[in-house]
Amino acid sequence: MSITADISETATATGFSREGVEAVSRARLDTGAARDARLRAWELYESLPMPQRTDEEWRRTDLRGLKLDRLRPYAALDGSGVSPVRALEAAGVEDAAAQIALGPNAGVVVQRDAGTILATLDPDAAAQGVIFTDLATAYREHPELVERWFMTQAVPASFGKFEALHAAFWQGGSFLYVPKGVTIEAPFRAFSLISEPGAAIFSHTLAVVEEGAQAFMADAFRSPSLEGQSFASAVVELIVEPDAKLRYVQVQDWGRNVWNFMTERATLAQDATLNSLHVALGSKFSKASIGSHLRGKNTLAEMLGIYFADGDQFFDHHTWQLHESPYGTSDLEFKGALKGNARSVYSGLIKVFEGAQKTDAYQQNRNLVLSRTARADSIPNLEIAANDVRCTHGATVSQVEEEHLFYLQTRGVPRSEAQNLIVEGFFRPIIDRVPVEEVQEFLRTAIARKVGI
Amino acid sequence: MSDGNSNGTTPMFEIENLHAEIDGKEILKGVDLTVNQGEIHALMGPNGSGKSTLAYVVAGDPRYEVTEGSIRFQGEDILEWSPDERARKGLFLAFQYPTVIPGVSMANFLRLAVTNVRTARAEEIAAEGGSAQPFTPREFRRLMREKMALLKMDDAFATRYLNEGFSGGEKKRAEILQMALLEPKMAVLDETDSGLDIDALKVVSEGVNNLSGPKVGMLLITHYQRLLNFIKPDFVHIMHDGRIVESGGPELAHELEAKGYEGLRARTAEAAAS
Repeated sequence: MSITADISETATATGFSREGVEAVSRARLDTGAARDARLRAWELYESLPMPQRTDEEWRRTDLRGLKLDRLRPYAALDGSGVSPVRALEAAGVEDAAAQIALGPNAGVVVQRDAGTILATLDPDAAAQGVIFTDLATAYREHPELVERWFMTQAVPASFGKFEALHAAFWQGGSFLYVPKGVTIEAPFRAFSLISEPGAAIFSHTLAVVEEGAQAFMADAFRSPSLEGQSFASAVVELIVEPDAKLRYVQVQDWGRNVWNFMTERATLAQDATLNSLHVALGSKFSKASIGSHLRGKNTLAEMLGIYFADGDQFFDHHTWQLHESPYGTSDLEFKGALKGNARSVYSGLIKVFEGAQKTDAYQQNRNLVLSRTARADSIPNLEIAANDVRCTHGATVSQVEEEHLFYLQTRGVPRSEAQNLIVEGFFRPIIDRVPVEEVQEFLRTAIARKVGI
Repeated sequence: MSDGNSNGTTPMFEIENLHAEIDGKEILKGVDLTVNQGEIHALMGPNGSGKSTLAYVVAGDPRYEVTEGSIRFQGEDILEWSPDERARKGLFLAFQYPTVIPGVSMANFLRLAVTNVRTARAEEIAAEGGSAQPFTPREFRRLMREKMALLKMDDAFATRYLNEGFSGGEKKRAEILQMALLEPKMAVLDETDSGLDIDALKVVSEGVNNLSGPKVGMLLITHYQRLLNFIKPDFVHIMHDGRIVESGGPELAHELEAKGYEGLRARTAEAAAS
């Protein structure tokens, strides 16, 4: 379990400050180097301007509703003594006991607010040198490993305003390390939960899959809808070393009071493979930046996304397929459905660097709008500095066709069920591309529930 | 032609003075047609005469507006019913151009459809000594395989997406498969023969013949006599410009084959003039 010091001095303070950073650092029992890194990040945060709507990536994003000064920088850091099953159930996770069992899972980390409730690892995996635990513990126990990758290669603190804030205040999160040549089939599963209203949560995922190794990691962000604004800042760093394979699945199903900011970058070394899936269902506001650096030769990045917004949800996804070396393949497919007054923005960039010949990049974004008052925008982009490449992209925004509903209805299926079938069918090609029965089942249920809301 | 009330009971399916329009343009201009249990009717007529419109209107296509007249099924006016209500009561339309719906597998869709229809008819099924308990996925697969074998359809169809990548003939077989699973009381088959080669036509016709019987009424819409060599109608109707202009027995189809619509029209006009 995590070791924590007295945090009462600032536990009720709101807003972000240098004193807040120092308090988090003391509470986390940071090493001197870790503390210095936080303070440097804080200075960076202060020096960077708040994103403006004149910035391309923020052009369609309205941050006026976000009240940073009213947030508490962290909630309880001590999660010991809390029942993980009950905490998961309170956050809306079904079948919680099975979700955190070892056997079907290779390891589980459950964190609520900033406190670790559960951290387990299959003994066989541990015997092969695998590390999977909460990030703060990993930092203390394996500083050389964590420091090598933590916000150095994939998402440096200098990435942007919110990433700098994250680097100053990060508390929760998990660390996965799979040594050279080790293959673990079962998923490593991490849950980030929020139980306290008005809290800011900084969850950091760092997964390192060494040469020739293979792993599957699943991140879940869950919380009930609470009174008052919550703020979630997540950074995900996926390091896929030569000839390694990583499958990464992320489900964002925060309560409707959460403003979610997520930045993810994967780095792929030569012959590496990444298969990622991002599912966005919850939160009030979500801005996700998801990118893959195809750094080595002959890499493959499959990036899939499903989002489904209803009510007054706003989802904003930016994707980056960064081809930095020759013979890279990236295959991106993001699909979204919208109902109620929901709004979504997708913008994606395929960037082929000079010399990245024989790149094969594909990008597709399709949106299904289920109500008159919902709106989806899709902005695909290409930037190509090599001459022997194949890049394809496409974007569509469409509605459920009356003709389809009528056909299904003539077979006795009520209109609402027909709509559900069509929406599920719309997402089906992506669901079929994730060959994990449990993930498929979860998605089917989640989509049906969303259609029924 | 059938006069419906010969046995003293309400006709199963009765269209009276039906007028319907699309985008303000009147297509059906007063259709009268009665189909009793166990009867097979053929509706023929040139392109644009309103045959397919009639099929869509019977099924409840929201694109069409009924401006006058009525459609009664088992004595009840169905015009206010949604398309799915009509289907659950036992009406079926085999589409001329079945819709492609990506991502929806035949098996999942049909199980949902069959469950809906059988649940709605639970009382009836119980009265016949059956059970409307929904099929388990396994039971349903078995039933579906059975029906597919009759229509010489490959098992792989069950897992394919609805009509996606189906050839013309495959789509038509899939329509008849749906009919076989839903067991309608009144079926309208819109140009089920179009686009079929002779072998496929035999298989599909055999499928339709297996589904006909003393309790089922059928309306076959067809442009050509060819289908009627395989499915024997009791009555034949000719439609022209939104109305049924002539009705008769199977011999009417043969006459049509010999004279063509033009010839028949000339004869009808003569008869009207004299």
